Amino acid sequence: MLYRTVGQFKTSYHADHALFPVKQDAWLLGLILLLAFVVLPATANEFVFKALLIPVLIYALASLGLNILTGYAGQLSLGTGAFMGVGAYACYKLITIFPEMNIVVAIALSGFFSAAVGMAFGLPSLRIKGFYLAIATLAAQFFLVWLFEKWAWLYNYNSSGAIQVPTLTMFGIPVVGPNATAIVQYYFVLVVVCLITWFSINITRGRIGRIWKAVRDMDIAAELVGINLMKAKLSAFAVSSYIVGIAGALFVFLWRGAAEPVLFDIQLSFRVLFIVIIGGMGSILGNYLGAILIVALPVIISAVPRAFGLPIGSAMAEHLNTMIVGATIIGFLILEPHGLARLWAIAREKLIIWPFPH
Amino acid sequence: MKKNLIRYALLPAALALATAFGGAAAFAEDSINVTNLSYRTGPFAATGTPIMNGQRDYMIMLNERDGGINGVKISYDECETGYNTEKGAECYEKTKASSIVTQPWSTGITLQVLPKSNVDKIPILAPGYGFSPMADGKVFQWAFNPPASYWDGASMILKNISEGNLESLKGKKVVLLHLDAPYGKEPIPLLQAYAEKYGFTFLPIPVGVKEMQNQSAQWLQIRRERPDFVLMWGWGAMNVGAVTEAAKTKFPMDKFIGIWWSSHDGDMKSVGEAGKGYRAISWSLPHSESPVMQDIKKYVLDAKKAEIGEGEFDWVFYQRGVLISMFTVEGIRAAQEHFDTKVVNAEQLRWGLENLKLDEARLKEIGMDGMIGPFSTSCSNHAGHAGAWMLQWDGAKFVKVSDLLQADQDMIAPLVETEAKKYADANAPWPINEECKM
Amino acid sequence: MEFLNSIFVKPFADMVGAPDFLLQVLWEGLVAGVLYALIALGFVLIYKSSRIFNFAQGIMVVFAALTLVGFHEKGVPALLAVPLTLLVMFILAVAIERAVLRPLVNQPDLILFMATIGITLFLIGFGEIIFGGENKVMITEQLYIPTGSFEFEPFGGFVSIEQKDLTAVIGAVLLVVGLLVFLNRSKMGRAIRALGDDHQAALSVGISLSTIWVLVWFIAGVIALATGIVWGARAGVSFALEVIAFKALPVLMLGGLESVLGAIVGGLAIGVLEKLFEIYWGQPLLGGNTETWFAFVLALVVLLFRPQGLFGEKIIERV
Repeated sequence: MLYRTVGQFKTSYHADHALFPVKQDAWLLGLILLLAFVVLPATANEFVFKALLIPVLIYALASLGLNILTGYAGQLSLGTGAFMGVGAYACYKLITIFPEMNIVVAIALSGFFSAAVGMAFGLPSLRIKGFYLAIATLAAQFFLVWLFEKWAWLYNYNSSGAIQVPTLTMFGIPVVGPNATAIVQYYFVLVVVCLITWFSINITRGRIGRIWKAVRDMDIAAELVGINLMKAKLSAFAVSSYIVGIAGALFVFLWRGAAEPVLFDIQLSFRVLFIVIIGGMGSILGNYLGAILIVALPVIISAVPRAFGLPIGSAMAEHLNTMIVGATIIGFLILEPHGLARLWAIAREKLIIWPFPH
Repeated sequence: MKKNLIRYALLPAALALATAFGGAAAFAEDSINVTNLSYRTGPFAATGTPIMNGQRDYMIMLNERDGGINGVKISYDECETGYNTEKGAECYEKTKASSIVTQPWSTGITLQVLPKSNVDKIPILAPGYGFSPMADGKVFQWAFNPPASYWDGASMILKNISEGNLESLKGKKVVLLHLDAPYGKEPIPLLQAYAEKYGFTFLPIPVGVKEMQNQSAQWLQIRRERPDFVLMWGWGAMNVGAVTEAAKTKFPMDKFIGIWWSSHDGDMKSVGEAGKGYRAISWSLPHSESPVMQDIKKYVLDAKKAEIGEGEFDWVFYQRGVLISMFTVEGIRAAQEHFDTKVVNAEQLRWGLENLKLDEARLKEIGMDGMIGPFSTSCSNHAGHAGAWMLQWDGAKFVKVSDLLQADQDMIAPLVETEAKKYADANAPWPINEECKM
Repeated sequence: MEFLNSIFVKPFADMVGAPDFLLQVLWEGLVAGVLYALIALGFVLIYKSSRIFNFAQGIMVVFAALTLVGFHEKGVPALLAVPLTLLVMFILAVAIERAVLRPLVNQPDLILFMATIGITLFLIGFGEIIFGGENKVMITEQLYIPTGSFEFEPFGGFVSIEQKDLTAVIGAVLLVVGLLVFLNRSKMGRAIRALGDDHQAALSVGISLSTIWVLVWFIAGVIALATGIVWGARAGVSFALEVIAFKALPVLMLGGLESVLGAIVGGLAIGVLEKLFEIYWGQPLLGGNTETWFAFVLALVVLLFRPQGLFGEKIIERV
């Protein structure tokens, strides 16, 4: 009933390909934005900001970046963590070399560094594909993390080898660093994430996005119809790494506050990949659903036994958590290999034709 | 399919539930919440577990024997990090509202929470680890690393291997085999300063976290370099790997010395006889017959209030865990007395930790005579710079082979000051405790 | 000039200058290479027969080794513990086939790959609950593996060869030979290869997919146990061992995902080359620890010239 499309008809091709062919979708998005911009900030406490909302947004952004590469352009990458690291270290160097630089500018610029590095490591994709390419991106993963460790210039020769985020302000309000309040950081991340999502939705719908999809579905056919594979693949690597780099900069500057190289380890790459797979490849919405699930799951698992008053050691909870995350991944893959986004798509279809399914 | 939809609809509800429970940890009347960011899982679980057990059991013992501290029960809790910085930061957020102290338990997590401590006003207790410049209490008002920092440890090791005469190191070669992480890199600046002053060659050899169990490349390098001494800043599986490889390369064991975190019985047990002669510096000494340990046995272990592994009771790490909880408890006691209150809060505890007076009489009173060197803290000295002993592995257990050593503060103090200042400048604006005139 | 000298001249001068040390380096590299080859072999077998890129091979090594030690701790004699562990690995293979592979049949490769990561996480949690997190000692002596070492004094220096490493090399060779005989001569082995060559055709001549899958995962389990014993004897058994799975990946790239021979040659080559690079170039010039990435970069460079790997089947991965 809620999703009835009666009375909504299109008279042009353009209208049919609009962002929201069904009016209710626009309403729903408006509702979610209202929730994100008004309701949640008004109700959440600091723990919820720091442990749930901000990480969900940042992970969703990183996953969005990977999804463009893997879900839209069909190039599997296991180096996301390292590319996030490039963004974070670039932002750190920019901030420390030019202390007057606005944080927004620094973050936006740091994406270009990761885009360049991403393109360099994307070059092998012109020769190899599939799992071979995935392992090749692991070369980036391990090499870059090693570089973060060894290249002392990157962390300004700190004796600890870690980077610390200084306090930075915008309009007199601390945005980054230990003095910034969680709600300010949340809004900052939310705005960045919204902008990039809007950009991504449009780029994946447009000419470039269609080229990527053609390459993903059948590269030889794409080449035959005149698509330049090199341009297509490298542009996917560039855009994807740009977004991933920004996610990395946000990850350290707006959330963690300090970073050591091991933070950008392969585990981070895998976590982002989980989000992509569970959320749904080739879907923008999926990134958010996947991120919510992956971030919230451990929090729930550790809270549920306590809620029922079961005495459970912290170690046991952690072991169970690892086990359940593993089982959930398998379960989701069996249940719906195309991810949460597909589940939503199916539900939406049903709602549209409800209550007469035939 | 419908069933699934319901499940997803429930998710946000469950989420809200989870936060409600996570955020509002139960506050009981007249109890003090002490949460430990423990790691009983992950690659370093083997070294973490006995320490956490010791910490927990001292708290249980006090609750059972004395009904807490001056009648206030301690509610000891753990938040599992798996030595993972990300989980550590999450635990910090989760517990900072309820716990009066943060025990981050990894140099990486310490570095993350350090800048926030000024804002959140909660003391960080990092006994014998963390960032060595934290000893400067004027700069790091909320951070404590008693009884000794890594730099104290490094200084004491050098003193011991040179038999008190540092000049004798001239022309020698000292290798630092360290974990390639903030923890392992800690002693490098001090050792470099020493190398410059006393004219020995210093060479750090990093061991990557992924290479901990396969150190053949590092030991080949040691074989090629032929150092006179190898110092080790190792952790978890790295210790076992290193001692095994040292035995294989036929490196003389008595020239191989570890920091206190490399003095774990569990690690050495798996090496056994091959590790005979290996030494490690330690600010704690196991003493199973001491009154405190006997009380733990009586009130906790025999009463089945908690369980530990077989033989763990005599381990260096288990008893060190007991000592670590003692720092918190003594801090609470000092604060109770000074502020004339029962339930102390985080800010009061900060004062307490700044005014620890653990002289020999006090240690005897709490039944820990001879388990730790006496020390005291002040507003400018957050480490206490206690002494330490050299322990040696005899094939089955660690035995004490030196008197109480003392670190060379003339070398350490200037470095602490410059590094602390560097940190404060890099993180400006950083509040400095100007009231402290010491 | 100085710089070029340190790259192109000095390392080789060092090699010639201390030949006994070079021999030791080569031996250490070879032993590591054997282990990489064993893990890679587990990957290849599963990939060949089911197109699954089995990320769980690393945790299977840990799981097998821990089960073995766990049985022994419970008082089971060492020689009985080995067959019991094999039984556990068989049950694990059946369980994986039933619970994970069968429902996911015909899914894209990526999905199956992710499922094996799920298996990895599950086994880590499960294993830690059962065995605890502490570092355990491999029951080397109880399994009659010699623990002494041979020492030689060539060129006036010394080279020491651990007997357990030597046992490992011999054991690995026997295992590989046995496996090749099995794959080439036995009916089951041929069925595995047939399935690798053409799924549909193999099914149509009556080869049972689920039996073969259980079998292949079981063989991977056997290899995992062998790897676990050997590696555990060197460095103890703990969950930190799991990371060695990553070491096998460049081996696969270099050798090709399909080739048993490639896994062996690639493993040995990477083991030796990464050790040489680390000792003679990495440590003096780059600050050490290059072993974390050297193999990957090497494999990447090789792949740029031979996209199918040294021994891979040419047709499948051409862009």
